[in-house]
Amino acid sequence: MDTAFAQRRRRDLIVAGIFAVIAALVPLFVKDVYVQNIMVLTLMYAALSQSWNILSGYCGQISLGHALYFGLGAYTTALLFTKFGVLPWFGMLGGGLISAAIAMALGYPCFRLRGHYFVIATIVIAETALLLFQNWDWAGAALGIDIPVRGDSWLKFQFVRSKLPYFYFALALACVAWLVTWWLEDSKWGYWWRAVKDNPDAAESLGVVVFNSKMGAAAVSAFLTAIGGGFYAQFVSYIDPESVMGFQFSLLMALPAVLGGIGTLWGPVLGAVILIPLTELTRSFIGGSGRGVDLIVYGTLIVLISLARPEGLVGLFSPRRKEAAR
Amino acid sequence: MTALLETKGIWQRFGGLVANSDVSISVGRGEIVGLIGPNGAGKSTLFNLIAGVYTPSQGSIIFDGEDVTRLSAAERCERGVGRTFQVVKSFETMTVIDNVIVGALIRTTVMREARRKAYEVLEFCGLAARANVLASQLIPSEKRRLEVARALATEPKLLLLDEVLTGLTPIEAQTGVELVRKARATGVTVLMVEHVMEIVMPLVDRAIVLDLGKVLVEGKPTDVVRDPKVISAYLGDRHAVGA
Repeated sequence: MDTAFAQRRRRDLIVAGIFAVIAALVPLFVKDVYVQNIMVLTLMYAALSQSWNILSGYCGQISLGHALYFGLGAYTTALLFTKFGVLPWFGMLGGGLISAAIAMALGYPCFRLRGHYFVIATIVIAETALLLFQNWDWAGAALGIDIPVRGDSWLKFQFVRSKLPYFYFALALACVAWLVTWWLEDSKWGYWWRAVKDNPDAAESLGVVVFNSKMGAAAVSAFLTAIGGGFYAQFVSYIDPESVMGFQFSLLMALPAVLGGIGTLWGPVLGAVILIPLTELTRSFIGGSGRGVDLIVYGTLIVLISLARPEGLVGLFSPRRKEAAR
Repeated sequence: MTALLETKGIWQRFGGLVANSDVSISVGRGEIVGLIGPNGAGKSTLFNLIAGVYTPSQGSIIFDGEDVTRLSAAERCERGVGRTFQVVKSFETMTVIDNVIVGALIRTTVMREARRKAYEVLEFCGLAARANVLASQLIPSEKRRLEVARALATEPKLLLLDEVLTGLTPIEAQTGVELVRKARATGVTVLMVEHVMEIVMPLVDRAIVLDLGKVLVEGKPTDVVRDPKVISAYLGDRHAVGA
């Protein structure tokens, strides 16, 4: 039985490798900039949702405030670059570390809350941060920050002529987030997190330090989310509070995982691949005034999935997990 | 030989309710001790105090020569206290073996090692055939055994069993009794709370009877069941006079 388990882990790794190679080859055939743009966003949300899944899926602490970490990553990267000339690579890393630290500082009081109360706290904190950034003059307040773009440069991680470098970075980020999850899944932390999600009292009786487990999950999750935020700032080269810290980002990180299968390795990727192109396409087909339509699409998908496959779409591929996410 | 577990003058109050008053018990190494008593006697409270769910209002708990009164449940687990829950608390979305691995991980962080250990414990508890089934799919008696398996995977010196035999069919209960004996044979000390006397009396070396939050009687099971005080606590004074 031990070998069956190891085989499944190896198979996951091989499948992921194949997908990554296929994804890397797609731009050779797809030259359309608009489609490439959607692919970049899809990969970015796959990575973000994978990060969200670590705290909310595996450890069971549902966060609807991850926009905070996304925004912190974006702002740290943009501010360090525009104000101090720090290269975005260090900016993203700094944003990740700051977000991880803030996630733990917020977790200290919030992880005493259970269930819905925790979810409400995450929403309120992210909204508060949004308001703070809207009124923080040094950080551009509501006007935001324009990142000056002076031609293609890997050093400054900005590209004008082609979106491809962004695409490959987003792909790498998605791969890293997936690999981190894959590795954590079969580690002490992975087991502790799932135990905490299922039954904190029983976990505590088996030597699991529940509070520390939640803190660890929050730190890893926030770190990866902030890297995604830093990437996004470089990708769009203009940020303002609403466009990187708005509530819709919190939703967009949670939804792919929920759609694909919460607390599963493949759920976030699968969910992002379906959800992001779908919403981008509906938005562009319906046109300028259709700002609410993508939300209608999310709503419909969530209703359908909760009726037909409450465990998420991954349930279609592995019958063994059918009961898992009940 | 010093006792493995000792409680010294434990008091536990919940608001105005005194659940344990001046409870001092001791459990020797290698013993199987039964903690019995009628409903509301304070068994579960004492049990949870020993497991580290609550901190007593007064008194101290000595485990393996160390004062553990202020330690958390997780810290006590690390020192060798394993427990089960009266209302089973399986990790429902995890497989049976994964449930046990969580317990094994307190002694090793090498996953291969933890997995091997978990499988061994499942074999010991007769659950190996169900290793890859989700815990939510187990029948009640298997869930009880999973509770024991999970606790044993933490390699406890003291195993606390909270009504693991209650509500089982006679055959299932017999299997449970054998499992407890087997566990003791490996050197584990057992303290078990039970409500139903017939099941535990043949199993335990010593019985401690609690009533109204106090230790009423303690001694050999055969003596305890004949004690008029015990009979009156369980059945009321009228029967005690008759006996």
